[in-house]
Order: sequence, then structure tokens, then C-alpha cells
Amino acid sequence: MVNTGKKFMAGLAGLFICCLLMMNCYAMESYPEEIEIDVLSELYQGVVFDHGWHVMMTEGCAVCHHHTTGTPVVDSYCAKCHADEKPMATVSCQDCHSSEPVTAGSVREKDAFLFHDDKPDLKAAYHLSCLGCHQEMGAPVGCQDCHARTEAGDAFFRAGQFAPTGSADSSGY
Amino acid sequence: MKKLAANGIKPHDAEMKADGRKFSLMEKLLLGLTLDQYVQQVIRNKFNWLLALIFVVGIPLIIYRFIFGLGVVTHSSYDYPWGLFLGFGLFCMVPLSASGFMLGTTVEIFGRHDFEPIERLALLNGLLGYFFAVVYLLVDLGQPWRLAYPMVYSFGPAAVLFLVGWHVATYLSVQVAEVSTAFFEWIGFRRGYEFIRKGTIGLTVSGIILSTLHQGALGALFVYAPGKVHPLWYSASFQWIHFFVSSIPAGLCMVICVSTVVIYTMKWRCDQRFIDSLDRITISLAKGASMGLFTYLFIKLLAVAHDNEWAYLATGWGAWWLFEMFFGVILALIVLGVGIHHKSVALCRLGALITVLGILLNRLNTALIAFNWNLYPEIPHIFEVIISITIFAIYVTTYRFILNRLPILYQFKSRAEA
Amino acid sequence: MSKITRRKFLAGSMAGGAAIAMAPTKKAFGANLEGFPDGMGVLVDMTRCVGCRSCEAACNKEQNLPEPDKSFDDYSVFDERPHGHYRRPTEKAYTVVNRYDPVDEQPVYRKIQCNHCNEPACLTSCFVNAYTKTPEGAVIYNDKVCVGCRNCMIACPFGIPAYSYSSAINPIIKKCIFCYDTRLKNGQTPACVEACPQQVMVFGKRKELIKIAHDRIRRSPVKYVDQVYGEKEVGGTGWLYLSGVPFQEAGFNISLPSEPIINNVKDFLAIVPMVLAIWPALFTGFHLLATKGKSHGHGDDHSHDGQEEH
Repeated sequence: MVNTGKKFMAGLAGLFICCLLMMNCYAMESYPEEIEIDVLSELYQGVVFDHGWHVMMTEGCAVCHHHTTGTPVVDSYCAKCHADEKPMATVSCQDCHSSEPVTAGSVREKDAFLFHDDKPDLKAAYHLSCLGCHQEMGAPVGCQDCHARTEAGDAFFRAGQFAPTGSADSSGY
Repeated sequence: MKKLAANGIKPHDAEMKADGRKFSLMEKLLLGLTLDQYVQQVIRNKFNWLLALIFVVGIPLIIYRFIFGLGVVTHSSYDYPWGLFLGFGLFCMVPLSASGFMLGTTVEIFGRHDFEPIERLALLNGLLGYFFAVVYLLVDLGQPWRLAYPMVYSFGPAAVLFLVGWHVATYLSVQVAEVSTAFFEWIGFRRGYEFIRKGTIGLTVSGIILSTLHQGALGALFVYAPGKVHPLWYSASFQWIHFFVSSIPAGLCMVICVSTVVIYTMKWRCDQRFIDSLDRITISLAKGASMGLFTYLFIKLLAVAHDNEWAYLATGWGAWWLFEMFFGVILALIVLGVGIHHKSVALCRLGALITVLGILLNRLNTALIAFNWNLYPEIPHIFEVIISITIFAIYVTTYRFILNRLPILYQFKSRAEA
Repeated sequence: MSKITRRKFLAGSMAGGAAIAMAPTKKAFGANLEGFPDGMGVLVDMTRCVGCRSCEAACNKEQNLPEPDKSFDDYSVFDERPHGHYRRPTEKAYTVVNRYDPVDEQPVYRKIQCNHCNEPACLTSCFVNAYTKTPEGAVIYNDKVCVGCRNCMIACPFGIPAYSYSSAINPIIKKCIFCYDTRLKNGQTPACVEACPQQVMVFGKRKELIKIAHDRIRRSPVKYVDQVYGEKEVGGTGWLYLSGVPFQEAGFNISLPSEPIINNVKDFLAIVPMVLAIWPALFTGFHLLATKGKSHGHGDDHSHDGQEEH
């Protein structure tokens, strides 16, 4: 929380607008302005996610947080079960989405009757949520628009100082 | 050779010289000429100059291919893994070499000894065709030194190619045995000749079995690629029959073509029996070929009807398919038919040439032209073309070398006859 | 007749066809139509793919492939059309992502790699048995026995195997092996799946994946085309695809038969034992009939004009 002044004002404004727009957003009294997402950073640096600004822009917490914040779910399919949920103790992405890669059936091995057996892992949960909306809204979708690549990332993508020298035979079809 | 004959010099054709001495191996190799005479007639022949030119360009390219890999002489296509080396070398040479088992069957199994004067030519044509198909294959294989792996090291017995490999290898041995009689006569190894002659029926029957299966198997290889081979050239049920049946006229017509070339360019080497009977045999072979072609035409149409592919005939590919059928099969049938009816050897020979070209077109269509019809056409690399021509030139040279020497076109005069 | 019986029967007949009794039918013939019951696969949900090419980069790193022509963050590759067509896997890239632009739709990205068929055409076409379908579901390749005939490239209905033509000494087939050596055999997720930021790919048992795929379609019937590509195609593939646009618009071959490629060849393979059994007796019989009462010797000249061949 470094840059307080402007962001804070924007956040307040966002809160105000959201409250006006969605009178039933009663669970929104406190939320982090910024979230640093760095649990997975290896090829990329962590992302400082401007949570406040996104709260301001979206129609409701449920767009990202499903039913966990206690606001009505957006998806009518989810509403079959989660129409009238109370706010949950934790709402952070990583509390539900595993940071370990998910394999099909692996979650069901722990709980045979688990309904949500096709839940994305944490990395996918972030990206599916962010990129899906960014594509729809015309917001930036390039990898490095959100997070700067590390040197390991440059090596992985054979870019920057690791870019192909072109010395290799370039036929190949 | 004509000039030498005019000077009264006769080529070597017997075990003994006129004065009763045996020919030495060197003399046999030089056709009974002196070294000087031999070299001069080689240089006089303009065709040798053409061959030499091809070798000068082509043989370094073959060496280049083995040093730097297939990538430098082909387009290294992933979509067209089989180029001219197999498309022409394997898929065309093998049907054109079906002559061996056809004439073997006719003479040995059906007892039609009236075809005997051409039997050895047909057997040799078969042997060399197969041998050079294998040479083409060796040039094409990524690791030719592993050619024997499917026989001795690692077996994939459910693969069609496994059958092709085994059968071509066994059949090649059978053909070597069949042609070896001529070699044993020439070299003067009488007992070897008699030993092989005793096994003729067995060799011939195994030749029929192996030929039926591997000629068909070459077709069945393309059955692995539904969707890649254009439907008009593809038939899951009939592909092997198409390839097998068309190999019959192909082999017979190849013998007609080769005998035509021989009678016009190497008449000195043919004995009177061969010269006298060739016209009659040519017409008989043409009859056999036209029967085969007619059957082929019928089953080709049957395949189109079976898979209900008539709609494809209205497309550009359909026009190309119709061209192949009208030129290579129907026109050939008409020319052969008229030739047989009027006992015109010239027309039969023309018909045979058309048949051979038609079969070539069919094989190239299946393997290259109508392959990947919904992708892009592959034009072979120029080096690939040159190497293919060079190997064919080596084939022609070997063919001629053997015809010049072994008693293929003439009957060897044993001690008693000379 | 069960599949396994048929395969063994065919293999046996071919071994006989080669006139040998020594060819052992090796382990490759264990796979039946359903694949190994616990065979693994990957479900590719193309609606999630954004074309970031991370999977291509991960594959390159995992398999120690040569330097690519362009960086993996260079998206101009999507506009490349070698020979007028979309990119395909090569000897330098076991997987490629292509962008397709359906009319009036968002671009669709499709990852291409070996689909690891239940009954692979490459395997059944190989005459040295270089390919193996492992119980884990991978179609792997033994470069120690490969002769380089490239029949597998002819046979593969998906155009996957590539060949290192540039090598003179040891050219081999290059294709995706499901990270078998480094990951799959230890039960680990393939490198491309792990690298994907969007979880376009889910790794798991093939039978689980089919359930998940159909669940996703049922859950979002508008989002998905009601088809799981690879469930039925050429006898089923280990890699399965979900799409939001008709599959042909994303470059899939939708004309593939639902039967394994080997079934096309069975007509021919079935005649092999027939020919072997019938021809010798038939033609020896012909010989005896045709030459009855005639001299068996040579040189006798029947000068009458012959009729046609048989």
C-alpha cells in the first residue's frame, strides 16, 4: 500500500459507485485495494493487482468470487445451489483453487461425491478469470501487459537475450 | 557391333571356340572380342555417351546424398514422406517386373513351351526390376544399413510393409535362382544348372504366391492413408486387387517393350529362334495383356461404384482420373485389340508402350500426384529427379551388360552343339 | 471376434506370409480398441486457449529440441502458411499452436501434437515394430530399430510424425511422446499441460476425461459444440478436444472414420493366409493338368499360336 493518495480516492469513488449500482452488495464493507499475486512467479514477476479498481469496474463480487462473498451469483447454473449464500470465512482465490497442477479425477480421489470435480487450479483460475474478462472488455491481453517476464522467462520463451540467432537451419517443412 | 558383324566377327555364344578350346572368363566378358575391338565398339555407340553423361552428373549426387543425408537431395517433406525414389522406383518398377512370374507360370506351370524363347528375358526383366526397386529403396531409406532389421532383428508382423519386405526379399532370391540357370550355362557350371532346373516347379509356384501377395501389398500400403489418397485412387477393399491385376498387363507389356528395344538395337545378340518367334510371341503376350487390362478396367469401375464415388468424376481430379483410364487403359485396349485382330506386331508394341505408361501414371498418381490431394502438390527436388534417372540408367546398363553376355536372347551352345 | 484376437490372428497370418515361423509377436499387440483401461490422456478445451505459445516453449525445453526459428512470444507464426497451409509439427517442434479465424467469430487457437491413438496407425504400419503404445497411454518410438521407411508418416491420419531428413547418419522420426521418458512413466503431467496458464489442457485417465468433457458440454451447451473430437475418431485417441466452433473451422479433419486405420487393411491381410494355403495346390494342379501327356522337357517347339494367358 504505497501509493495511497490517488488510489485511495479512486477506491473510495469506486466503493461509492458500486454501492449505488448494486444496493445488495452488503458484504463489501472491507476488501483489499491491491493484491500482490506472486505465488506462482517464476517465469514472470508477481502482479500487483489493483483490486479496488476492478471492484469499481465490475458488476459485483460474484463475477470473480462466485458465491463466496455472499452476493448473488451471476451464473444461473450456480444459482441452483448457491442462490442464498452467506459470506464465507475466506474469499481469496487460493483458498479454494489449488496451487498444485490439477489432474482429472485427482480431486475425486479425496472425495468421491465432490461436485466441483473440474475446478481449475490456481494459475488457471487467475488467468481464466482475468483474461476472459479482458478479452470481452477489450482490455490488454498480452502476457507482459500484466506481468513482466523474468530472465528465466526470457530463456523459456527464447526471447530477449535468448532470442534465436538464426544460425540453425531454418528449413523444417 | 553391326560393323564388327559386317567384318565377319561373331559374338561369343558357346562354351567352345571353333578350334575346340574353351573360352576363358575374360574372353567371355569381352564377348569373344579382343580388348581393342571391345573398347572401340563401346566408344562407337552414342547411347554409351548419354549413359556416361548421366553417370557423371548423377553418381556424385548419389554419393552427396549418402554423405549429407536425404535433406540435401529432396524437399524433406513431412507431408510427402515418399517421393520419386519410392513413387517411381518402388511402385513403378515392381509391377513392370511382374513379367518373371507371369512367363514362368505360362511356360513352367501351364506347359506352354511356345513361350520359351522369351521366358528368360521375362525372368531377367523381373529380377533386375526387383533388384533396382531395392536399390531405389536403399537410396530412399533413412538408414539403409538397417534394411535387414525386419528380417532378423525387430519384427512388425502385422504391418503390410513387413509382408512387402519379406516377400520382395524371398522373391528376389527365387528370381536369382531362376536366372542363375543362364549364368551357370554361361560360366560352364553344368551341375548347378541341372540342380536348379529340378526345382523349377517349386520356384515358379513360390514366385506366383509371393508375387500375388506383394504386388497386392504395394497397393494395400496406401490403404493406410484414407483421406490422403484421393478417393478415386483409393479403395479399402479393392486396392490390392487393383495393384495385383494391373501388374499382369504391366509385366507382360514391359516384356514386349524390352523385346522391341532388343530386336531393334541388339539383333546381333538374338539367335534365330528368338528372332523367328518374337512376332508370334508378341501378339500372344498382347492377348494376355489385353485380358488383364480388361479385367483391370472392370474392377476399377467396380471400386468407384462400390464406394459410390461417381460425383468425384465431375471434378478436376475426376477429369485426371478419366484421362488415366482413357489413355492408360481404354486406348491401350483399343490399340492392342486392333493389333491382335490384324496381327500387327507394330500396333501391339505401341499398345504395350501405352499400357506401360498408363500403369506408370497410375502408380505415380496414387503415390504422389493424387496423394495429399487436399493439401498442396509436391514438385520433386531436381536432385531427386536426377538421382532417379541415374539409377534407371544404371538399371539399363546392367540390363544390357547381362543381355550381351548371358544366354538370355540366345541358346547357349554346349560342347556337343558347338 | 474380439479385437485382440483379430490383431493376433492378423499378426500370425502375416508372420506365416513371410514364410517364417520365427517372428515373435511382440508386446505391441496388447492394445485393444478401448486402449489400456488406465491409459492417460489430455483433454484440450480450445475455448480457453489464447494462443500464448507457452506449451510450445515448454515442449522445446522439456524435449531438448533445437533452437526455434522465432521466439515463442512471436505471434507472427500464426500468419505463417508453409505450402499454403497451417503449421504442423516438425522435427524441431513436437507441438504447434495455430490460429484459425472462423467467420464472425473470435479467433480460435488449436494446439496440435500427437494424439496418442488407442490403436495407432503409425504402430500398425511399422514393419520393425518401432512404436509402442504404453499402458500409460503414450505412443512412443524406438529410434534404435527404425529403418527410415517413413510408412508411419504415410499412415498417420493426423500428419504428426516428422523426420530428421537433415541427418545423414542417424535420421529418425520426431514426434510428441507424451513426455513419456521424463514425466508420464512417473505419473507426472506432461510439460505442455503444466505450462498452460489457462488450463486449456487437463491431464488424466482417458475415461475420466471423456466424462469431464461431456459434463462441460452439458453444463454449457451454448459454449461448446456437442462433440468430443478424439472420442471416436480412428478408434479413439488419448488426446481429446472440445471446441466452441465446428471442428472443421479449426482445421480438424472431420472425415476420419471411427474405425482404427488398421481395419482398412484387414481385407488385404485376410487374403494372405488364403493365398498361402490355396495357391500351391491350385497351381501345382494346373501344372499337372496342363502338362498331362505332354513332354516335360524343354526345347520342344509348340509352334501353334497360343491362346490368352489364364
